[in-house]
Amino acid sequence: MADLQDDLRPTVAAGELDDLAEPYPEEAVAAESYEPVSDPDDEPLTRAHAILAAHPVADGYNGLPWALKRLSYYDLELGEISVDTDVPRLRSGRVGALFWSLHLPEGLDGDRAVGATLEQLDLAKAVVRTCDEGLRPACTAGQVADARNCGRVAVLLGPAGASAVGDSLGILRQLHLLGLRVLTLTGVSWASEAGLTRFGEEVVREMNRLGVIADLSGASPQTVRRVLSLSRAPVLCSRSAARAIRPHPVNLPDDLLAELGEAKGLCLVPLTAEQTGPTVRDVADHLDHIREVAGAHCVGLSGTYDSGAAHPQELGDASCYPRLIAELLRRGWDEGDVALLTWGNVQRVLRGADFTARAAQQRREPSTATIAELDG
Amino acid sequence: MTSLDDARALLAEFPVADGHNDLPWALREQVRYDLDARDIAADQAGHLHTDIPRLRAGGVGAQYWSVYVRTDSPDPVAATLEQIDCVRQLIDRHPEDLRSALTAADMEAVRREGRIASLMGAEGGHSIANSLGTLRGLYALGVRYLTLTHNDNVDWADSATDEPRAGGLTAFGREVVREMNRLGMLVDLSHVAATTMRDALDASSAPVIFSHSSARAVCDHPRNIPDDVLERLPANGGVAMVTFVPKFVLQAAVDWTAAADENMRAHGFHHLDTTPEAMKVHRAFEERHPRPVATVATVADHLDHMREAAGIDHLGIGGDYDGTAFTPDGLDDVSGYPNLIAELLDRGWSKADLAKLTWKNAVRVLDAAESVARGLQQTRPPSNATIESLDAAGG
Repeated sequence: MADLQDDLRPTVAAGELDDLAEPYPEEAVAAESYEPVSDPDDEPLTRAHAILAAHPVADGYNGLPWALKRLSYYDLELGEISVDTDVPRLRSGRVGALFWSLHLPEGLDGDRAVGATLEQLDLAKAVVRTCDEGLRPACTAGQVADARNCGRVAVLLGPAGASAVGDSLGILRQLHLLGLRVLTLTGVSWASEAGLTRFGEEVVREMNRLGVIADLSGASPQTVRRVLSLSRAPVLCSRSAARAIRPHPVNLPDDLLAELGEAKGLCLVPLTAEQTGPTVRDVADHLDHIREVAGAHCVGLSGTYDSGAAHPQELGDASCYPRLIAELLRRGWDEGDVALLTWGNVQRVLRGADFTARAAQQRREPSTATIAELDG
Repeated sequence: MTSLDDARALLAEFPVADGHNDLPWALREQVRYDLDARDIAADQAGHLHTDIPRLRAGGVGAQYWSVYVRTDSPDPVAATLEQIDCVRQLIDRHPEDLRSALTAADMEAVRREGRIASLMGAEGGHSIANSLGTLRGLYALGVRYLTLTHNDNVDWADSATDEPRAGGLTAFGREVVREMNRLGMLVDLSHVAATTMRDALDASSAPVIFSHSSARAVCDHPRNIPDDVLERLPANGGVAMVTFVPKFVLQAAVDWTAAADENMRAHGFHHLDTTPEAMKVHRAFEERHPRPVATVATVADHLDHMREAAGIDHLGIGGDYDGTAFTPDGLDDVSGYPNLIAELLDRGWSKADLAKLTWKNAVRVLDAAESVARGLQQTRPPSNATIESLDAAGG
């Protein structure tokens, strides 16, 4: 029940709400001291399973709902060979939480993006409902822990693309009500190569107030830096590896990784051959590097299964995480860092977002700003 | 006691559950949702038909707030979400007076608390952009009825005020109705063509509503309900909520509006043009031809007829406040409902009848829709039919 105890300590929250110097009190979200759960003399793979049993993978990006659209029939609980993610493989991969991507195919914008996002949310919820032995919907860190304590894989909704909010804070609020938890700040007039506009800044403030986490993968350095300084809740990069190791445009250069680490953000490394390289060792190289540059509290995993990407060898589907963890243990990662990588960091970011939202809702009314008013 | 006192006493127990109010649209158009600029806790007479003091004075206990957007909107889905956001903010800002209601049980609970149950209705199939997933999204956000069309046809249903195209509902239109039945979202047949009304009654396994329509036999306007449709309501269990809009309820106003529109066209303007030049032409017309004025009695005449055609269990009220420029004398704004009840008392309507008209029928119809939905959800998964697959041959 460690997760439940990890939840916000009410005395801290109540005492410091009115006068927060920090974005959120450190002690409210600090990790507990770590107690090892594996035998250091065991084989790495055995140890990986033992650690993952206690600290499962919170996978930051999965494209299953969209992939299911092309199937006329599927059974996720029994196993579905035509996709990379199903309940048996999530279980053998020791996955405890999944973020379901609501990113849309190219070319959908304006009202079609808003409508398609409503459809995506509807589809995702329908899939979770038909699969209630294996999956459980979750929004908050507490609900994620609850799902895990019930032996279910928690499903969180997001990231969605910024175009989903139709340049409107009112729409952002409705998508949040429907369960949206992460929004990728790219590809719109207010979050572009040039950075955030004034409306873009207001979007980030409203996201903080709601508890929608900013995803900065693919955002311009200007956008990343502005959001890091502006956001009172931790941010994440849903699919970014280290550019120092592999020069992919969405991968993060060392300076941004360091700034992300200072801001207690989270870099979720995608298991794609394109961004990380073709082998398990390549992926581990990225994780080593990011842990070194940004810190162990700043790194996590995004399987990116069923999103159309090619995966490194031996990491072809959602069941493969123990292999990756075994590789990290061989490289001398200590258990505490592995536990942060797989589970702890994502939970910390969710808790931080929850806490910020609760505090902000005491201070701020829903924003009525419009893009016409702020960006003219 | 005068009948007006009796009316107020009656409304204190069984308040008005009104089917249609366009306050969100008025707030969008007038102040772009700046809710401080139109604080409905204070008197907004002069700007709006609706504010909380006048809702209280009018004996309103439940309101379907319309989340209407224009049919020619470039982004109808996005705009509908903004309208929903507006309603939520109104509810959040006035917790002493307004409370969200999603079910019939919620409506009763809010009535017992002495607050105004706030529900949402979407006005026009354009708000779902031909998508059942979007329809379910609106339901999940709290929308409890969808008017199948507004003033223009949608791809799958004919409007009362557009050229016939589908001849009622297309196959996809019938699927929309079936999916609404499965969700427990009321099918609203105001604004739709008579052919669509009949098709929807055939397709729907749940009671339907008319959120703001009156009787065509009393005043021949396409926005009103023909008798053969009213006569089907007892079997269906639905509710026709009488509306007050003068240009639909008063024959002289219908004729005057037609003449005024014709005059505009004769001067080369669109009949809804509100530019200064167009308004000048319109004012000149109005000086020569005074606008006929509807009264409380006009509306009561409709109710008397609708009662005869459909029965007392199938009547309700849908004022369309803030959705119409003109209102009848005595029903000038949302504080006017007691005048209508007093008129009906004078015409011999019993208190039991009036309780059905104002409150009970509206609650029953939502409860019935929920009950049908519970049954259907046992047997039918969400529909993912598309308009392309069902209406491929052009409907």
